[in-house]
Amino acid sequence: TYYVFTFLVGYSAVALNHVIDFKEKKQEIIKPVSPSELFPSLPIVQGTSKRIKVLTRLTLVVSDPSHCNLLRSTSANIRLYDIIAVFPKTEKLFHIACTTLDVDLVCINVTEKLPFYFRRPPVNMAIDRGIYFELLYTPAIKDSTMRRYTISNAISLMQICKGKNIVISSAAERPLELRGPYDVANLGLLFGLSESEAKAAVSTNCRATMLHGETRKSACGVVYTVKKPRKVEEEETTLPACKKAKTEA
Amino acid sequence: AALSCRYVLCEVVSEDPRCRQCIEDRAVGLAVRDAVGRVHGDYGLACCSISFTVKYLNAYTGTVLLRCRKDSYRLLCSALPFVRQLESRNQRYPCSLNTLHVGGTIRTCQKFLIQYNRRQLLMLLQNCTNEEERRCVQKSLLSCSLTEEQSQSGDEEDDDGPE
Repeated sequence: TYYVFTFLVGYSAVALNHVIDFKEKKQEIIKPVSPSELFPSLPIVQGTSKRIKVLTRLTLVVSDPSHCNLLRSTSANIRLYDIIAVFPKTEKLFHIACTTLDVDLVCINVTEKLPFYFRRPPVNMAIDRGIYFELLYTPAIKDSTMRRYTISNAISLMQICKGKNIVISSAAERPLELRGPYDVANLGLLFGLSESEAKAAVSTNCRATMLHGETRKSACGVVYTVKKPRKVEEEETTLPACKKAKTEA
Repeated sequence: AALSCRYVLCEVVSEDPRCRQCIEDRAVGLAVRDAVGRVHGDYGLACCSISFTVKYLNAYTGTVLLRCRKDSYRLLCSALPFVRQLESRNQRYPCSLNTLHVGGTIRTCQKFLIQYNRRQLLMLLQNCTNEEERRCVQKSLLSCSLTEEQSQSGDEEDDDGPE
């Protein structure tokens, strides 16, 4: 409907999420729905002439270490998703997700009291690996108890990670649950982020997650080579200096 | 100025066209105050209430201009996403507020609104289905300008809008 698109007009990319919860009966990872089937025509991003990008995303809710085997196996269907997120339910799984699992996002529980405390070593390792922590804002809008959990969980994460590597996203199921980017950045202020961190949580961090997903999809990684002609000159000028030092010595 | 204010420009978004009936100062002011109270408690509500008023409303476009003190505009802005419905004359309709711009004077918000409306009209132009609509929209585009200024030359370019 048109009303959804008035918000989308403030965004340049959207991800469609497919959640897999292993607590239920045996789940299989199916191929992602192709966005072109769902949306015959996409609106244009405000201010540019490109169309909105629609990405596919998979969220795995893991409550047992055996659930992670799915990520390690070379299942063909997993590679088809643009972004992979994991929702760890225990402290051990949170540690595994931050340090070893090959994912782009780690979801932080916002609908109930955290069963464990965050510790600095796994969080810092996740930041070094380029993994982002995701906070949802739609539960906070719907219910006041959820709002309290969201804010306390977000602030306790903030104290450990110092506001870095945060992504704020909605889990909207209806168009009226969405909020524009300006408003979502303001929500970041409520979660203890500074103004620049809150803006980054809606813009640059999301883009970095997309790129992380792209590098994960393509073989082992991407190396971008950039031509740097000046480097040769630098080497030439340093060589004589070395020679000079030798002669002086 | 010692008593600076901030003007927050937002638009009401709703799926139900009848929600437009509820866009009036009292209903919008109450909804915003209620959201501030829910999120920031009594302290937040008290801070935001200083000099709080709904300055301008447009029920057709859903545009709302709010004013509050400069010291408490963050409290106000962070509570706007929590507005879920508008209620007036015992009718309530679900909606949400989308923040467009925060400015120090009414004039800056006015300038922003003109640019924003022009962009919206351009998008409408793209979705026009018949010639009659197209002419009406083009006429509106050509006439949008800040009063006391001459109409900008950018309007002529808009005429060659995408088909």
